Amino acid sequence: MVHLTGEEKSAVAALWAKVNVEEVGGEALGRLLVVYPWTQRFFEAFGDLSTADAVMKNPNVKKHGKKVLGSFSDGLKHLDDLKGTFAALSELHCDKLHVDPENFKLLGNVLVVVLARHFGKEFTPGLQAAYQKVVAGVANALAHKYH
Amino acid sequence: MLSAQERAHVAQVWDLIAGHEAPFGAELLLRLFTVYPSTKTYFKHLGDRPDEVQLLSHGQRVLEAVGVAVRHMDNLRAALSPLADLHAHVLRVDPTNFPLLIQCFQVVLASHLQGEFTVEMQAVWDKFLTALSVVLTEKYR
Repeated sequence: MVHLTGEEKSAVAALWAKVNVEEVGGEALGRLLVVYPWTQRFFEAFGDLSTADAVMKNPNVKKHGKKVLGSFSDGLKHLDDLKGTFAALSELHCDKLHVDPENFKLLGNVLVVVLARHFGKEFTPGLQAAYQKVVAGVANALAHKYH
Repeated sequence: MLSAQERAHVAQVWDLIAGHEAPFGAELLLRLFTVYPSTKTYFKHLGDRPDEVQLLSHGQRVLEAVGVAVRHMDNLRAALSPLADLHAHVLRVDPTNFPLLIQCFQVVLASHLQGEFTVEMQAVWDKFLTALSVVLTEKYR
């Protein structure tokens, strides 16, 4: 359960309306793979990840980033029931993908940095606080069905 | 630990911060306290809502220490030894807080540098600041 005030929810939605989900998704996933290279362990089939440039330009990274952020975007519409919204994805990440939930926290943090990069001063401390709560909530929801 | 290219990225970013340690540090601390309120427990002397003067003053101190680290990338342990002693014996900041400060540092960098904040800079600064935090907590036990 994410605890955002009404004001925070509006601010999160208002900023998100300006986000290019495809672009930001690819950038966030790319930056995750470069800044925390061990995360590449899940993407061995993606092709060339040998340099930062190769990662950021990799079409599979962009495509997957778009998919991941699309899911995140859906989650933003259900802030009051993130666990329900991400239940199936949680099971998938545990049973089929075998992803350590720590990675959801890392990606969430990278996403926040990418938003800061795109929005500059507009990404105020208050807005960062709201988004950090959201990404933490999504990370928890994705870890919820692990067993 | 840091390659020549990585050191160049550290220096390149530092050049953009140098001279602005106080406002950069103030924003860093404001973000830290806003996003992670529990970190305020280490700054009781600043009160529940630190004012701008306090944030600028303490922010400058934090960033000046980062500057020392930048100038002694080859020898962080020696250069930061007094600060490591301070954190181990006086401040005793729980080590889990350093990643929170690092996250806020990245957000400040990203929001100010925007288009100039390359993935290489983000990667190197994460590595550098993490190394810094390891040195600062090394004498804890």
